[in-house]
Amino acid sequence: MGDPIDCREAKERLTDYLKQELTAELAVEVHEHLVRCRSCFGRAKFEETLVQLLEARARRVTCPDALRERICALLRAEAERS
Amino acid sequence: MAEPSAPSVRSFDDEALPHLDALYRVALRLTGDPAQAEDLVQDTMLKAYRSWRQYRPGTNAKGWLLTILRNTFINSYRRRKLEPVAMDLEAVEPHALYRAVATADPEGSFFGQLVDEKVLEAVDALPPEFREVLVLSDVEGLRYAEIAEALEVPVGTVKSRLFRARRLLQARLYEYAVEMGYIKPREGAHG
Repeated sequence: MGDPIDCREAKERLTDYLKQELTAELAVEVHEHLVRCRSCFGRAKFEETLVQLLEARARRVTCPDALRERICALLRAEAERS
Repeated sequence: MAEPSAPSVRSFDDEALPHLDALYRVALRLTGDPAQAEDLVQDTMLKAYRSWRQYRPGTNAKGWLLTILRNTFINSYRRRKLEPVAMDLEAVEPHALYRAVATADPEGSFFGQLVDEKVLEAVDALPPEFREVLVLSDVEGLRYAEIAEALEVPVGTVKSRLFRARRLLQARLYEYAVEMGYIKPREGAHG
């Protein structure tokens, strides 16, 4: 493992880190930076909260029942035809 | 027991129907119109049913369905092609919201005050190619590789679009928060 990563690199990798899209090795490096650096930790928390909020708010939208029923009926009709 | 050669209604129902909410959510964000979103989901499900043989069991059905939805949207619903967005990200204040929340609202109560419509409005105001990546990634939880496949772009493009989308979203939420008086504008914010 190389030198510990700095704030600039931590910031660049933050989104990928939170998405769990980094290699295990890089994830450890970002994690170690975050526990050491108060400012980056705050930023990470903020970004995490924002994404959780977005997910929670957007996921309240659900498929209307009428559409669900229509689709099920269409699929039945398709199945009978084939 | 032999593999069924014809698409089985039952397995399609089991694998695809649980994703109707996700399909409708994405359709609504892409079209911006409930009636169109319903048509898009319906078309998507019929297409998916007819090409069910092509689905590989055990792979991510949600990603497969969203790819069909996205292609259907591009081919039939969108009037004009997506044009690359020339956008000066420096012109927006990407970190203003973070700074304001960090200094004036360490408890983050601002987040609790944001109503659903405002968050969704901010999402809908994003340029389309940023919006679709944000929705697929942050709302529907698809992996970068799955989004890259659905959008037929490199993974690096997905990452940079997501990054920009989040910055823009923060800038819009910041404007809104200032407008509503939840947070005070930073002095010299344009400096």
